[in-house]
Formats: sequence, C-alpha cells, structure tokens
Amino acid sequence: MKEQIEKIQNLAIEKLSQTQNLKELGDLKVKILGKKGELTILLRGMGSLPKEERPVIGELVNKVRDILEEEFTKKEKELKRKELDERLKTENIDVTEPSKKTKLGSIHPISQIIEEVEDIFLGMGYEIADGPEIEKTFYNFDQLNTPADHPARDVQDTFYINDDIVLRSQTSPVQARVMESKKPPIKIICPGTVYRSDAVDSTHSPVFHQVEGLVVDKNISMTDLKGTLEMFAKKCLGENTKIRFRPHHFPFTEPSAEADVSCFVCGGKGCKVCKKEGWIELLGCGMVHPNVLRNCNIDPEVYSGFAFGFGVERIAMAKFGIEDMRLLYENDVRFLKQF
Amino acid sequence: MKASREWLEEYSDIDVKTTKLGDILTMAGQKVEEIIQKGTDIKNVVLGKILKIEKHPNADKLVVTEVDVGTEKLQIVTGANNIKLGDIVPIAKDGAELPGGVKIKTGKLRGIDSCGMMCSVGELGLDIADYPGQIEHGIMILDKSLENKLGENIVDILNLKEEIIDFEITPNRPDCLSIEGLGRETAVALGKKFKNPRENLDKLEVETKEELEGLKVDIEAPDLCYRYVARVVKNVKIQESPEWLKRRLKACGVRSINNIVDITNYVMLELGQPMHAFDINSIEGKHITVRRAKSEEKITTLDDVERTLDENDLVISDDKKAVAIAGVMGGQNSEIEETTKTVVFESAVFYGGAVRKTAKKVGLRTESSSRFEKGLSAENALRAANRAVELVVMLNAGEEVEGKIDNYPTKQKINKIKLEPEKINNLLGTKISKEQMIEILQNLGLEIENDIITVPYYRMDLEQMADIAEEVLRFYGYDKLEITLIKADTTIGIRNKEQKIEQKIRQILKISGLSEIYTYGFINEKELDKSNILEELKKEAICIQNPLSDDYKYMRPSTIPSMLNVLSFNLNQKNPEAKLFDISRSYKNIENKIEKGEVPEEEKILTIGIYSEDFDFYVLKGLVENILEEVSINRYDIQKEQTNKSYHPGRCANMKVGIDTIATFGEVHPEVLENYDIEKRIYLAEINITKLTKYSRANKKYEEIAKFPAVERDLAVIVAEEIEAGQIEKAIVKKAKKVLEEVKVFDIYRSEKLGVGKKSIAYALKFRDKNKTLNDEEIDEIMKNIIDELQKSFGAELRK
Repeated sequence: MKEQIEKIQNLAIEKLSQTQNLKELGDLKVKILGKKGELTILLRGMGSLPKEERPVIGELVNKVRDILEEEFTKKEKELKRKELDERLKTENIDVTEPSKKTKLGSIHPISQIIEEVEDIFLGMGYEIADGPEIEKTFYNFDQLNTPADHPARDVQDTFYINDDIVLRSQTSPVQARVMESKKPPIKIICPGTVYRSDAVDSTHSPVFHQVEGLVVDKNISMTDLKGTLEMFAKKCLGENTKIRFRPHHFPFTEPSAEADVSCFVCGGKGCKVCKKEGWIELLGCGMVHPNVLRNCNIDPEVYSGFAFGFGVERIAMAKFGIEDMRLLYENDVRFLKQF
Repeated sequence: MKASREWLEEYSDIDVKTTKLGDILTMAGQKVEEIIQKGTDIKNVVLGKILKIEKHPNADKLVVTEVDVGTEKLQIVTGANNIKLGDIVPIAKDGAELPGGVKIKTGKLRGIDSCGMMCSVGELGLDIADYPGQIEHGIMILDKSLENKLGENIVDILNLKEEIIDFEITPNRPDCLSIEGLGRETAVALGKKFKNPRENLDKLEVETKEELEGLKVDIEAPDLCYRYVARVVKNVKIQESPEWLKRRLKACGVRSINNIVDITNYVMLELGQPMHAFDINSIEGKHITVRRAKSEEKITTLDDVERTLDENDLVISDDKKAVAIAGVMGGQNSEIEETTKTVVFESAVFYGGAVRKTAKKVGLRTESSSRFEKGLSAENALRAANRAVELVVMLNAGEEVEGKIDNYPTKQKINKIKLEPEKINNLLGTKISKEQMIEILQNLGLEIENDIITVPYYRMDLEQMADIAEEVLRFYGYDKLEITLIKADTTIGIRNKEQKIEQKIRQILKISGLSEIYTYGFINEKELDKSNILEELKKEAICIQNPLSDDYKYMRPSTIPSMLNVLSFNLNQKNPEAKLFDISRSYKNIENKIEKGEVPEEEKILTIGIYSEDFDFYVLKGLVENILEEVSINRYDIQKEQTNKSYHPGRCANMKVGIDTIATFGEVHPEVLENYDIEKRIYLAEINITKLTKYSRANKKYEEIAKFPAVERDLAVIVAEEIEAGQIEKAIVKKAKKVLEEVKVFDIYRSEKLGVGKKSIAYALKFRDKNKTLNDEEIDEIMKNIIDELQKSFGAELRK
C-alpha cells in the first residue's frame, strides 16, 4: 500500500510538471484528489488493512495529500501567471492610433467673452438684465438725457423703425427700464446686441455687442467706478492690467470718462494691437447723470450711481488676435472650430 | 477742430512741446486726435530756379535741365512737361527724403546724370486742394517773388513746420469749436494766465439802430432765431487776404476765398460764431426777414445745388426771396462778388434742433450747421459781428458803418449753481479743498460769490452740481482719482432661469459637436420667400426706415433664413460638413404694436442647422430630446408636422408640451434647398428658449432605487407602415399601467416576407413593482391585454 501511495505521488508530480494549462490541471486534480480520485479511493480501501497499519498509512496518505495540494496550488499559480502574461501580450494595443469620439463643437468667441464678463460681475454681486432690441426712442434716448433735438441722436446714426421705435443703439435702455422698475440698490450688467448704421468693414459692423453696467445706491462715487473697472480689467485681461481715465462726454453721465487699459497684448510696451501707444481705449463710463436718475424717479439728492459700457467684439478681437471683424459674422466652420 | 499752436499761443503761454501739450489737453478733456506737422518727413528739399531746358538725347519724353539751387547748379533729368525757363520749383537734392519714405539719390536716367528731382505737390505730401493753381501731375511752380530765396529749405518757404493740433470736440462743448475756447482750456490746463486778446469786444459799445444804410431786420420766428445782429461795412475792396490770415485759415482746414468771406470764416474759427456776409444790394427792399420757409420753397445754395424747403426750415429772406438757409448755407443770389461795395455781416443764433433737422434734410452738414446744432450762445453773437468789422478796418478792406442792428427776442439764460464742495467730493470720491475748486472754476471764467456760481455766457453746458464736479475733476486730474470699492450692502449675483438654460444649451451642443454662430437680425424680402416662411409670418416682418441696404431692410420674423445663409456659405467654401447652432431672436410685429408705438414681440430662439454625412432625422431628434432632458422637461409629445412649408412634409415634427409647440425640427424642404442652391440634405431645428424656460422644472426629486427585481419581456408586432411607433408605445403604456417601468423600441424591420407596406417593430418592456416581486402570471396577463389592444387598435399581428 505504501508503494502504491508513493507511486501515486510520484506519478502525480510527474504529470503535474507536464501540465500546460489550467484545464489540464483541474482534470488532474480531480483524477487524483477528487471525490473519485485515485488517492481518495485508496483511502477508502484502508478498511481492508490491519488495524495497526491503518494510522501509519492514514498519516502517510494525509501527508501525501497535503504535499500534492500544495504542489497543485503552486502549479495553479504558475499557470495563471503564464496565462495572464500571454493574455496581456496578445492584448497589447497601439495607443497612438486615433481615438473614437464625438468631436467637440465650439462656443462663439463673442459668447465666450460675454460669459467671462458675466462671471466676473456675478462674482461681484451684479445681476444680468436684458431688454428688447427693438426699443422705444423714449428708452433709447429721452430717458437717457438725449431729448428729441439732441445732436447725439444724429451722431449715433440710429436705425429707425418709425419716429417712436428704433433698433437700440446701445444697451443703456435696459438700464433705464431697470431703474424705472426697481428701487436702489441696483447692481446690474446688460450684455446684448446693439445696432448702428455703420457699413460693414474690417472694424465696423452695423450689428455688434455691448456689455453695460449700472450701480445705483447711496454714496456711490467715481473712485468706486474706477476701482470696479480696474478689478474687472485685472480679472478679464490679466492681473497686471492698469486702467486710465480720460475726460469725455456722454449725455447720460456726468462727469464722464473714457477708460483705457494698459495693452494686454504687449503689456504696455507698444504693439500692433495698441497702435504702439501701450494703451487700448476700452470703454466709456461715468456717474449717472442726475437728469437720468430724475427721469427714472430716483432722487439724485439721495442716490448716486455709475454706469459703464464697452464693445464685446473689440475685446474678442484683441484677445483672440482676430484682425477682421467680418470673420465673427461670416461663420465659416474653419474659423468657428478654433474656439 | 484744428488749431495751430501758433494761434493758441495768442491766448496762453505754452512752455511745453506740442506733443506734451496734446497729452495735457487730452487729459483735461479736449482729446487730441492727431498732431500734424507736414514738414517733418521732408529733408533736403530746397528752392531752385530752372536755368536751362534741353532735349534728352536718348528719350523723347524726358528733358535735361540745369537748376540753380543757390550754392550750386545741378543737372536734373525730368519727365515733367509743365516747366518753363525761369520757373521756381522745389528741388529734392541728392540724399533728400520725401513723405512715404522716398529717398532721392544721384543717378543716371537713360544714360544722362541726374543730380536730384523736381517735386510735385503730391510728392511733398501736400494736398492739391490747399494749393490752388497747381496741377496734380506736374511740378509745383512757386511764385517768382521767391527768386531771392534759392537754396532755402522748402519746409520754411511753404511754412510746413507749423504744428497743427486736431481736437475731437465733444458735442457739449461748442465753445471749444473756437480758438478762443481752446485757448482758454489750454491756459487753465497749463496753469498759465488766459491772455484774453479779444477782451476789447466785451467792452465795446455800439449803438443799436433800427436801420443801417437803409437795411432793416425782422424776426418772424423768435422760437427758431434767438438773436440777429447785423453790422455793415461800406466802400469795400474785395481782394485777397493777407498771408497771416490765409495761413491761419489753412491751418484750420479752411480755404481762402476773398478778404470778406475769409473774415467771416476767421471769426467763426476764432470765436466759434458762424457768420454770413451779404451784398447789401442783393437784398430786395433792403429788408431782411427771418422766417419759416414756405412749403416747396426753393433756394440755390452757394454750392450750386437747388434745395427744396418747407415750413420746418428757417430762412433768411428779403422782400422777394430766401437769401440763405439759416445756419446752414447762404444762397447764390446774395453771394459776395468782386463788385460788392457794401457788405452786411450777419451774426445770428438759431435754435440748434431746427438747424440740425434742416441740415440733415437737405444733406448739407457745414461748419456752420455743425456749430449751431450744438446750441450757441446768443451773447457771443454781438462780439462776433463787432470782430468782423474790426478785421475789415484792420485789413483796410472797407469802412465801418456806425451802429448795429440787434434783434434779440430770446435772451440767453445765465445759469446760477450753488457751489457744494462736500457733495462734489462725495460724488467724485475725492478730498479736494474748496479753495482749489474755486481756483479751477475761476480760471475757467466762472464767477463765484457767496457760494453761488455764475456761469459765463460761453458755458451753456454747465447746469448743475454734477457739471461743476466734472469741471473741477478735469483740472484736478482724472488720473488722480483713487481706486476704491463700493461700500454697500451685499447683493447676490446669480443667473436667472433663462440665462442658466442658455448656458446649458451651449454646453450640451458643444459637447454634441456643434459650433455656435452669430448672425445679423437683418433680412431681405427675397429671403422670406426663398425659405418658404408662412405668409402670416412674412406680414409680421418689421421694416427699417433707413436700412444700410436692401439686404438689411427687415428684421427677421424667423431665424431660418439666417441659418440657411450660413450653411450655404459654408457649402460654397467647400467645407465638408457644418454642425451649427445660433441662440438669437426673431422679431414680429403682432397686433400692429409698432404702429401703436409699442415694442414688438421678440422671441429667443435656438436654431440648429446641420449638413453632415453622419446625420439624419433621428440624430437631430436625439439632440432635441437631450436638450429637453437637460432642462428637466420630461413630458412632451412628438407629432408629425406637415403644414410648415420650410420643412420636408414627411420629415418634420413638432415637440409639444400640452398644446404649446416648443420646438419644430426636421429636414429642410427640397424646394427651399433648391432656392438656396443647396444640393445636400439640411437638418434644421427651431427651439423656443422662452417657452423652454417656462416649462423647465428645476426641482429634481430622488426616487428610491428598486428593491424588487424587474421582469423583462420582448414584444414584436407587424403593423402597417402608416402606424407610428409612438402610437403603439402610447397604447402599450396605457394598457400596462403602473408596473411598466420602461418601454423601448429595439428593432424596426422591413422585408419582402412581411409584405409591402408592412413593418415589424420590436419593443423591450421592463416591468417592476415597487413593493413585491412580480410573478409570471401577472405579467402574462398584462402582455395579453397589450397584445389584444394592439390587435384591436392597429390590426397588429404578433411576430413569433
């Protein structure tokens, strides 16, 4: 019996060494250690042995079983490793082959700039206001201290629908509408489309976009305006941007200013974008004219405010290096895809 | 407004370079556009005299000349044919430089040495209009009197060194459309004394008379003419103006005509008051009436054009005819001529609004009208008239007639404003002392007594505290404003629902591969037809009174034509595909709102437009569905749309919430494509963002994840082609009741075996009960009900 056991052990070990894969290994394990395996059958046949031999043989069988179990486990691990290695080898891919994806589209540069501006002012507690593009002359002009005989009505070369209705030449009528309907404190920006009777060329378009801002509250001063605009310029155009105020005139603000920013392309050294001046004329602004406040039933003795406005296209063109404004409205996909 | 430095120096000492002066004035509110100094680009060009002209031995069109340039005689070859022996001409010598970077060097022309070049007006960078008598394609021929200056620099000879400052004057400052006004600003900005060279005009007493040399003046329209001053000069000698006067006019861009006309222009430039000069003999009845024009009244203006006027226009008239359009331009019939002996100087002030309208109507925006339209001071008018007479006497051009006619029905209001330093500082955010404020204001000519400011006549723009604050700030320095932030209660900045939705749409479409476009809201009549827009919509298109061109005549009632234009453009550019979207507005004049003076309807529309090989109706539908899902609209109906003529009648759908259509999408009608010469299939969607916002439900709620297992069953039915998948799905949902969790089409199949006009649709159904495990019997019963219903309603046949 002892020889038989040893024979099984030796044979098993020999076969084990020849096993090539996990299936063969499984089969071999069943054949030897399974319920009907050779060793199990042998163990069952132990009853026929003399009483005193039984413990000896039993111990031997168990020992062999343990040895074989261990060998099988070892072999199993080895084979698994081998199979995995082979699988990994066959599953090798070329990671530089092209990807499979839905190509991303793009958001128009004008929208990108507007959103960026909106986010900066939302962060400062401003709301975004909107109004009609086809607007009453009352809101586009009269309420903004630009009465019927005012030369500014000519200067701006507005598109008229009839004597009372125009295509808004600025987003300021939104400000007038908000002031009329809401009590201070007012903190809004109004992005939107505006219309002026300029023929299309590389720097002009009869349709363009503006963002205007308005704050009305107690104790609002011109230094607050400057501070707000500098904060905006730094966030939008770069932390090193400086701002410069120059006197100007607008019917709806007094005092009025034009604000230049240090050129965000060359940093103020002088380049093509800033026409070698180091400064770029960015926006018009000022303290809300007391007549405008009065027109909107806000007492200028109690409240003051500031307003500012700028063209989106100019910023988009300077920021993205677009030299011809027509590209923005031509909508060639080869242009659009770049943003 | 152009002003020469030399002229400004009459008003203020200037101890800085002109570029620096420009910077200072810009920062004080008179923006300098440009400093012009023509001579800077010209080097080594001198005066020469032609001594010899001989034929060129090798060229018919060239001549060989000898020129005396003072220090030497040069041989110069030229192709010019306007030169004669003895002519005095500009010579660019060897090494000379001309505007535009041209350099002149000695060289050979067809084998003959040429040691320089004779110059034309244009080659010197000058405007031919400024040099009457010169020709464009020929050498500049100078006056013989310059013969003693041979060899001298042409820059000095032509006085090109003069520095001219071009200002952008804001419309609130008509006083700065004068050298006097700019001179005052210059003095204050530089901290110098305002020299006030015309102070004599303020003190001059001239007796007012009813009649001057038989001339009488009546104002019939005092609402349009605030003041009319007339002064007369007699024994006038019409001749050329002296050089200094011509030079000053030229520096301001005004051409010299004759001494009398030049004087009117000079006074306008000097004092800002437009003037007019008549020949007294051309005034019929020697009686001037300032009156409204008659309907269809005609006048030929000085520029030889006949203009038609009406009652809204103001004219200067004699007893028979209009002799000038008030404030705009004089008439030919009263023009100063060489024979004129007695001249009437008119210095009047008209209502700016009316001048503006008339000038615009007749299409004549003159130096005069552009000043009047900003509103001029009536007080200044008398000064101007007196100055004109003073100049006539000074130039020896005629004799002063004593006295003036002065009709002044509408007195200029002189503003008084309280000086409130604290309010000014609060508004500006500054701490400027009261003393400093007073100093600035007094320098500007404002009088202050007991904290009451009296505004001088020439500053009609100053009306209230804010205006005074600006004056203080201009000369305190805008650049000295500090930087502060608003000190006020916290406000919340947040996008509203519609703004958030718009942002989401941009993101989702970008991720889906679409690019955003921006289009004009303009449209032309043809495009409305080309895109088969509904007739009723066409009628709602809003017409622009003064469009840029016929292409931009209407505001679009639909965004489709704009999108089709862009797609067509991209096809023409041979771009293989275009997947585009536009968030913009449509404009509709519904219920004649515009005629009632109300603003028309504007709707915010998302327009999608696509041509691409990998696109079809169902991809488009998926895109639209995803947008709705993103904005949390879950209940909607998709119905076939066959009446919209812009779309393919078999491939278009409406998406409805209740009875409200929030989107229309599909393939473009082949007829429309043909109109646009498009040969590819185009997919379009119009989604109304305003309505999308209305139905969007932002509040999402968590539903417990199911504990009990789902039962899945497939169901394939054969139905007639006309039966829509959606109809069947609805019936399934209705019959299956609550336990149906999901129903999905997973296959649609057509074959000859099924028969012509038939299709098989396979649905995957998923059942689940929240509270228990469903058993087969329950499901079998539901399935039976469904099948029965489909058989009954659609004649569906179960596919085994």
